[in-house]
Amino acid sequence: MPLQENSHSVIEIKALSFAYDRDMILENINLSVQERDFLAIIGPNGGGKSTLLKLILGLEKAKQGSIKVFGKNPSKNLSLIGYVPQNTNVNTDFPIKVIEVVLMGHVGEKTPLFGYGKDEIACAMGTLSQVGMQEFAQKKIGSLSGGQRQRVMIARALCAHPKILILDEPTSSIDITGQKEIYELLKLLNQNITVIVVSHDISVILEYADKAAHINKRLSYHDISDKKSTFHTHGDEEHFCEIELLQMLGSESCNTCDPSTPSTSSGTEVTEQDSVAEPVEIDEAQWREIK
Amino acid sequence: MIEALSFEFIQHALIAGILVSFAAGIIGSLIVVNRMVFLAGGMAHASYGGIGMAVYFGFPIFLGASLFAVAAAILIASLTMQTRHRMDTFIGLIWAVGMAIGVIFIDLTPGYNVDMMSYLFGSILAVSTEDIYFMAALLAVIIFVITFWYRDILAVSYDSEYAKLRGVNVKLFYTLILILSALTVVIAIKVVGLILVIAMLTIPVYIAEKLSRSLLSMMIISGFVATLFTLTGLWFSYTYNLTSGASIILISAASLGLFLLLYKGK
Repeated sequence: MPLQENSHSVIEIKALSFAYDRDMILENINLSVQERDFLAIIGPNGGGKSTLLKLILGLEKAKQGSIKVFGKNPSKNLSLIGYVPQNTNVNTDFPIKVIEVVLMGHVGEKTPLFGYGKDEIACAMGTLSQVGMQEFAQKKIGSLSGGQRQRVMIARALCAHPKILILDEPTSSIDITGQKEIYELLKLLNQNITVIVVSHDISVILEYADKAAHINKRLSYHDISDKKSTFHTHGDEEHFCEIELLQMLGSESCNTCDPSTPSTSSGTEVTEQDSVAEPVEIDEAQWREIK
Repeated sequence: MIEALSFEFIQHALIAGILVSFAAGIIGSLIVVNRMVFLAGGMAHASYGGIGMAVYFGFPIFLGASLFAVAAAILIASLTMQTRHRMDTFIGLIWAVGMAIGVIFIDLTPGYNVDMMSYLFGSILAVSTEDIYFMAALLAVIIFVITFWYRDILAVSYDSEYAKLRGVNVKLFYTLILILSALTVVIAIKVVGLILVIAMLTIPVYIAEKLSRSLLSMMIISGFVATLFTLTGLWFSYTYNLTSGASIILISAASLGLFLLLYKGK
């Protein structure tokens, strides 16, 4: 897919390749994220989604190619990115109040000598009410449901007033109603900020995202803002299942329309389906990151 | 009981018990929330190496144990920074090697003038004035660090990846927590002995965890609960002429059992 050169691009990735040791994880990635995009990053496990996120967040350094966040290296512009990590259900025994978790969004910025500043608390309460969680401010984080906890993590990310909000598998361990609420919230937030979601969840792509990037070592990019023309069927009776949808997004063009293009291997897509059933997955690299 | 308070060694024991209890409550909370209980046990046993070396070379035992435990903490920090999931292996190693070094050095020491049992099971009735100064200084340092860097320590303990993203020096604070833990373990050795240290660092904290919504209140409650257990244990040991360290631990464990029964009943 061609890149759109645009003055409003917030993230520019050019010819990026990345490898741990000798295994190539990402190969020649080009991606341009525009202001107020709702981008879904999808792809099979081990396809490089998490690695790409870490590169954007500056947790890993690019070895080839470049990543620019608002025209600078990711580590220079960290405060412009709000990050909601995967697995918000770990460490639920930790004695910490909801408001303290949200205030963590401020850590590293200028803070008072000890304790929390009045303006910081006001700001944290503001973001909590933005996600509809203000009455839980004094509750222990462990007493919340998975969906509520996810909202708190979003509030924490919003605390630094980011221009981009990045979420890693935001709904992996939340029930269906909770998932829908999270996406509605993201849609609302998307009116002002750019949202990037890494997800297994195909319903995001269908209903909420307007751009999709399928990553399996290489990246293929799709503008899906016009749902009807993207997810077209060839007759009234026809419809496609999630596997076909993933195949469609994983390939450079529509297989059904253009028979000359060979279809991508369906093996990886089946793996993708299997993994949807597992709510919590951590690969070894992530374990190393967890303190 | 009241006349006992006029003895200097009892006064020292009480002051040391209170100082160590607060240090153990604060640092024990950090150890528990960071899932480093096994690590604290490892450092306690490794510090026996420092005790042995201090006896052999003839310098103050507290100093020897402190230096050795801090060295072990820094070694563990650097070994486990990248591969945290292999932490248990390294801790086991340092645990046993430290003790072995201590045993060998005590073998090499001519004569056998030190009662080594007192380091294994505590000797709170033999606390000197210098010991009390050391304990008070450490508690002051701990309170200072917690007061000024509470937010960073909280962030690193709760979610180190996020803390790193927000520009907190995770490695520095991780190492700092380990060093403070090592020093706390050393002073707690005086009260309950290195074998029983883990219980002192965890039982009050476990009770406090149930009662608190924040790390700060957990630290404060742990401190008071630990003090209560230590003083009750001391009274028990004095009255029935039993080993003080073991008395403190058994009082703590019995109280924990009672607490859990009442807490569940609610």
